[in-house]
Amino acid sequence: MAFFEAKHLQKRFGDQVVLEDITLSFEAGQLSGIMGPNGAGKSTCFNVLTGQYKPDGGTVHFDGQDITGLPPRKISGMGIARSFQIMTLFDEFSAIDNIMIALRNTVTRAFNPLYDLPGDTTTMDRAADVLAKVGLKGRELEQAINLPYGERRALEIGVALASEPRLLFLDEPTQGLGVDGTARLADLILELKETYSIVIIEHDMKFLFRLADKISVIHWGQVITEGSPEDLRANEWVQASQLGEVA
Amino acid sequence: MDVILNLLPHLVNGLALGLLFALIALGFMLIVGVMELINLAHGSLFALGAYFAMSIIDPNLSYFGSFGDWYSALPLALRYVVALALAPALVALVGMGLEICMRRTYGKKAEYGLLLTYGAALVIEETIRITWGSAEQVMPIPDAVSGAFFAGGMIYSNYRFYAAFFALFMIIVVWLFLEKTPYGATIKAGAHDSEMVRALGVNLTRLRLLVFGLGASLSGIAGIILTPIWGLRPHVGVDVVIPAFLIIVVGGIGSFWGAVIAGVMVGLVVAFSGAYVSEWSMMSMYLLLIVVVTFRTRGLFGKKSALEN
Amino acid sequence: MKSPFAISTPVFTRPMLLMFVVLGTFPLWGTSVGLYNYLGVEIIIWIIYALGFNLLLGYTGLPSFGHGAYFGIGAYAYSLCQLNVFESVWAGILLGAFAGGVAAGLAACFLSHRRGIYFALMTIAFGQVFWFIAIKWHTLTGGEDGLLNVYRGTLSLGPVDVSLKSNEALFYFAFAVLVVITLLLWRIVHSPYGKALQAIRMSEMRAGFVGYNVWLMKWSVFTLSGVIAGLAGSIFAIAQESAYPDVMSLHASGFIVMMTLIGGGFVSFWGPVIGAIIFFVARDFLGSLTETWLLWYGLMFMAVMLFKPEGIAGVWQDFMKKQKAKSAATPTSQTPKNSVAGE
Repeated sequence: MAFFEAKHLQKRFGDQVVLEDITLSFEAGQLSGIMGPNGAGKSTCFNVLTGQYKPDGGTVHFDGQDITGLPPRKISGMGIARSFQIMTLFDEFSAIDNIMIALRNTVTRAFNPLYDLPGDTTTMDRAADVLAKVGLKGRELEQAINLPYGERRALEIGVALASEPRLLFLDEPTQGLGVDGTARLADLILELKETYSIVIIEHDMKFLFRLADKISVIHWGQVITEGSPEDLRANEWVQASQLGEVA
Repeated sequence: MDVILNLLPHLVNGLALGLLFALIALGFMLIVGVMELINLAHGSLFALGAYFAMSIIDPNLSYFGSFGDWYSALPLALRYVVALALAPALVALVGMGLEICMRRTYGKKAEYGLLLTYGAALVIEETIRITWGSAEQVMPIPDAVSGAFFAGGMIYSNYRFYAAFFALFMIIVVWLFLEKTPYGATIKAGAHDSEMVRALGVNLTRLRLLVFGLGASLSGIAGIILTPIWGLRPHVGVDVVIPAFLIIVVGGIGSFWGAVIAGVMVGLVVAFSGAYVSEWSMMSMYLLLIVVVTFRTRGLFGKKSALEN
Repeated sequence: MKSPFAISTPVFTRPMLLMFVVLGTFPLWGTSVGLYNYLGVEIIIWIIYALGFNLLLGYTGLPSFGHGAYFGIGAYAYSLCQLNVFESVWAGILLGAFAGGVAAGLAACFLSHRRGIYFALMTIAFGQVFWFIAIKWHTLTGGEDGLLNVYRGTLSLGPVDVSLKSNEALFYFAFAVLVVITLLLWRIVHSPYGKALQAIRMSEMRAGFVGYNVWLMKWSVFTLSGVIAGLAGSIFAIAQESAYPDVMSLHASGFIVMMTLIGGGFVSFWGPVIGAIIFFVARDFLGSLTETWLLWYGLMFMAVMLFKPEGIAGVWQDFMKKQKAKSAATPTSQTPKNSVAGE
C-alpha cells in the first residue's frame, strides 16, 4: 500500500457532484502534484483528503491507517499538515508566535496551565528554526498581518511545517505571487523536498512540472491521467488541452 | 370532537399571535438578510414607533393655539391613520441615522455592528424614558377596532383580530415589494451576494440606507400595532427584540417565508403552552429555538451566511 | 544560549501590582475621597466577573450576551446553600462557582460548535431560559422577588472566624478572591491554553488543522468563565444579602459586555478591570448628576465602538507606542508584542 492512498472518493454538495470517483496515491519521500482547470474539483479534493470535508464515498488511508472522515485535528495529529490557498494565519500574533502555537510540542500541552509557553527556550528556539527554514529569519517579531504578501505565503507554509508533518499538503502556494516570488518559493520547496513528503495543488503548470515527481490531472471530478512530468508532456489529453505547452 | 372544540380557540389565538410575531420579525429579517447585521436596536425602534404614534394621536398641542384645537377635534380614527403613516416614517429617519453611524463598522468583524446596535438600543430606550417617562402608558385606539365579540362560548378581542389581519396585510405588502418590484429584486440579490449587487451597478451605500430605513419603519409599524396589546413602556423593546431574533434563527437567516412560518410556529407554541402550562409559556419559544437549531444548524430554511464566520 | 525570543512570564507584573495596591488599600482612602466601602465590594465583584468573561470575549472572541445567567445562578446557589444546607461561606461560594460552571457547561454543549453571530444568538437564548426559570420557579428561587433572607455569615479561617457583617471585612475577603483569580487567569492566558484560545479567535479553522480540539477548548473556556461568573455571583449574594433574577436579565448581561469592551478587553488582560471601575464610577458620578446616566453611558459605549473598538486600554497602548517611537528615533531593540496579554 502506498504511503497515502485515496480510493474512489465521492463528494456531492446538494445535487452537484464535485468529485465523481477520485483514486490517488502519494509515495513517501516524493513530491506529488495535483493539477487541473479551475472548477475541476481540485480544492474540494484537497479538502476531503485533509479532513475538512467528509467524503460521501470512498476511503482514505495514510501510512496503513484508515483516516476516512476523521476531523482535521485528528488527521493533523497523525502527521499530516496543510497550508491554505486563502491565507489563514493568526494575524494578530507575531510571526514567531504563529509558529510557536502550531508546534506539536505546544499542541500536546494545550491543557497544561503550568507550562510557561512564552518563556520556554526550547520551544522558542524551535519556532525560530522553522521560521529560518522558510526564509523569515529576522522577521520573528513582526505581526503576521504586517508582513508583505510573499512573506505571509512563506509563513503559511511555516505554520504547516511547525507540526512536524510526515506529509505536507500545500494548497496553491503560488497564489498571488509574482514571478520573483514564485521562483523563490520554488527554491524553498526544492529544499523542503529533501526532508518532507509533499503534495501540491497548483494551477501554475510550469511550477509543478519543475518540482514534481508525479502529477495527477483532475478534471470533471475524476483523475483523467497521471504520471511523471515527462509522461504528461507526451500525453494526448494534456497536449490537446494545451496544459503541457506552458511547461 | 370535544378535543377539537377545546383546541380551536388556542389554535385561533396561536395563529393570530403568530402573525403578530411574524410582523415583529419582518423589519429585523430585512436588515439581517441584506446587511448580515443583527440589529439589537430593533426592539427600541419598535418602542419608538409606538411612542411617536401615541404622541401623534394624542399630542400636547397647547403651544399650537388654534391649530391644536382643530387637530384635537379631528376624529380619533383619522388621527390614528395619520399616526400609522407618519410615525413609521419618523422611525425610518432614526434608523437611517443609525445606519450612517454603522458605516464605520462595515468591513470589520460582525460583532462590532452588533455591539453598536446594542449601545443604540440602550440610548434610544433611555431617551424614551426622558421624553415620555418610565410609567406604562396606553395607546388610544379607534372604537372601530376595540371591543370584543363572542363566538362558540369564547370571548375574542376585536383588536387582536384587527392586529392579526393588519400583520397579514403587511406580510403580503412586504412580500409583493420583494418579489414584484425592481428594488425588491436588488434587495434579494444583496441578501445573497453583495458583490453581485455592486457588479450590477447598484449604489450599495444607498441600498443599505434604504434597507435600514425600511427595516426600522417596519419595526415602528409593529410597535404601533402591538403595543395596545402588550402595553407601552420604555423597555418593551427588550421583550420584542428577543422573539424577533429567535424567529429569524428558527426560520433561517435570509428566508422570507422561513420567518413567517417560524413566527406562526412560535405563536402556536406560545398559545398552546400558555393554555396548559401558562407560567412557562414564554419559555417554550426558547426551547423551540434550541430544539430546531440543534437539529438544523441554519434554521428551517436558512442558507449559508457570512455571519457564520 | 538562551533564546532571544523566549520571555518567561513573570508571576507578578507592574500593572498587576498597581491594581492590587490601589484596590487593596481602598478602605483606607476610599472614604476620604467621598467613596464608600460597599462600592469597593461591588467593583471587586464585577472585576472578578469581567476578568473571567474576558477570557471568553477578548481572548477567544466569543461574544456571550447571556452571561448574567451564570452570575445569577452562582448567587442563587450560594443563597440556597446557606439557607438550606450549610452555613459555611466557603461551601457557599464553592457551590456557587460549581453551579455557575454546571449551567455554563450545559449551555456550552449546544454552543461550542457555533461561531460569530450564531454563537451570540444562542447565548442570548440560553441566558433567557435560565432567567425565565429563575423568575418562574417560585418554590426554589422565590420568583421575581428572589431569596431575601441571606445573611453575611462568618468566614472560618482555621483558628479564627471572621464575621463578614461589615462592608470592610467583606471587601478584604472579596479582594483576596480577586487576587487568587487574577493570578490564576494570568497563568492560564500565558499557558498554551490561553495562546490557543487567541489562535481560535484569529482563525478557528487553522487552529483545528494545527491540531487543537477547538470544540473542547470553546466548551472549556465557556464553562470556566461560567465558574468564575458563579463565584462572583456568590460573593454578590453575600454583599446584597439576597439573590434575585434582575442580574440575569439581558440588560445586566449586556453591562458586562459593555464594561469589558469599554475597558479594552480585546487588547489587554487589564481591560475588564478598567471597564468595571469606569462603569461603577460612572454610575455613581453621572448618577448623582442625572437620573439618566445610562443614556450617557450608552453614548460613551457607542463612541468607543465607533472610534476606538480597542477601548481605553487600546488608547493607552497607542499612547505608549508613540512615546516609545519618540524616545527611540532609531529602533535599537524590539520587544515582542502579544496581541492580548500586554502590560
